[in-house]
Amino acid sequence: MADNSSDPVAIWQNMIGEMEKGFNSFATQAMASPEFSKVANQVGGVSAGAQKQLGDLMEKYLVGMNLPSRAQMVGMAERLQSIETQLNEIKVLLHELQGDSGAQESSAGAAPRPPRTKRPPSAGGDQR
Amino acid sequence: MNAAGGLDLASIPARIETEVQRAIQRSIKGVEYIASSGPSLGSTPKDILSVRGTMNLYHYRPIADEVYRVPILIVMATTNRGYILDLVPGQSFVEFLLKRGYDVYMLDWTAPKPEEKRLAMEDYVLDFLPHCIREVQRDCGETDVSVVGYCFGGVLSLLYGSIFSDGPMKNLVLFTTPIDFRKMKLFQNFSDRRYFDVDRLVDSVGNVPPEMILSSFEMLRPASRAASQVQLWENIWNDEFVKSYRMFDRWATDTLPLAGEYFRTITKDLMWDNKLYNDTMSVGGRPADISKIKVPILHAVAEHDHIVPYDAAKPLIQKIGSSDKEEVMLKGGHVSLVAGANAIKRLWPKLDSWLCERSI
Repeated sequence: MADNSSDPVAIWQNMIGEMEKGFNSFATQAMASPEFSKVANQVGGVSAGAQKQLGDLMEKYLVGMNLPSRAQMVGMAERLQSIETQLNEIKVLLHELQGDSGAQESSAGAAPRPPRTKRPPSAGGDQR
Repeated sequence: MNAAGGLDLASIPARIETEVQRAIQRSIKGVEYIASSGPSLGSTPKDILSVRGTMNLYHYRPIADEVYRVPILIVMATTNRGYILDLVPGQSFVEFLLKRGYDVYMLDWTAPKPEEKRLAMEDYVLDFLPHCIREVQRDCGETDVSVVGYCFGGVLSLLYGSIFSDGPMKNLVLFTTPIDFRKMKLFQNFSDRRYFDVDRLVDSVGNVPPEMILSSFEMLRPASRAASQVQLWENIWNDEFVKSYRMFDRWATDTLPLAGEYFRTITKDLMWDNKLYNDTMSVGGRPADISKIKVPILHAVAEHDHIVPYDAAKPLIQKIGSSDKEEVMLKGGHVSLVAGANAIKRLWPKLDSWLCERSI
């Protein structure tokens, strides 16, 4: 292995790595304390609740401004997703129909499934 | 010629030239990085077999001339997207399995919608998973199915396997699956029942926001994000590094929300009461005792896993009822165990050599 002890770039990279390890280790120890859990959960609980309330308020405001609310956008996204799902179902059905009718014209139909006959290499199968 | 400190003076001009070139490349590539989108992920050709809200079942199109009799159902963790197992050609676990002759299905998740906040553990273990197994059986015409679970997908697979221990699961492969939740020290502290009011959280927000899930993961190694951005800047001249960084960074930050009731059960039954480890877990009133699982099992764990420490995963193999069971510890972390260069040379070949003989 090359000696990088005097390479400034290697020294810099090493220093970053060591700082990362050191800080992670320090933070892990600090976060393992019950005090951290208490404070983090107090702050997190308040913040999650406030975010929810702010979201509700914003939704009312948007409705008042005659703009689509988040719920309406989510509803539209859901309808789109539902349309996509139905399209996929139609696609699968079409593939199946094409597979049935295209048995004699295999090149145009859905790819036939390979046989389920593969053996492990140790049992005489090949490994591609 | 060497100076006293071991510095090779003759190499200095060449080194300066390299660094200047890299600095120029950094400026050019830095602009490209901001202006371009990342590589397209999860693009192995697949068909959607079933979609039910947050649940998605895919079938990947076989590419081998013949496949093993027993299909594989991959069960993804509910916190993240399944494309970590299907990054780009040449770095896709799914593509690897297809090339090795497996018939591959994946149970993947999308963000649960606000009205799905009532989805509970029962829905995942007694409905979604059995539904997917039935769909796989119907699609491929085989009764036996091998189940491969990653992280919390492994926990769901364990719960499923212990409740439906009479079949049709043929083999069980788990990647970094926790069972002793007391040993997930930091998660334990984040969810300390004295201070963490899970009922209040779920009742007020519905589904647990993805930002909260992401920050709890990032808090396990708080300096790593900043350090990785420094590394990115240093290596931005290197296209391969940047491509890899973008793939993993996009996936890591693409965290999913968790359905509220489901999160409540995870917190109370697993994090607080450690029921899976204590053999007192039940789902929808049905006991989930992992000693009932008798099928062959492989559990792959990572040497440097900061999310699921080895102590949290270790008792799994001891407690499982199978006689054909193996635990393998591989180099890497929670993600590099399953994806990237480390996985390509370690986990994937190991899984193939273990599973191929059990897939006929």
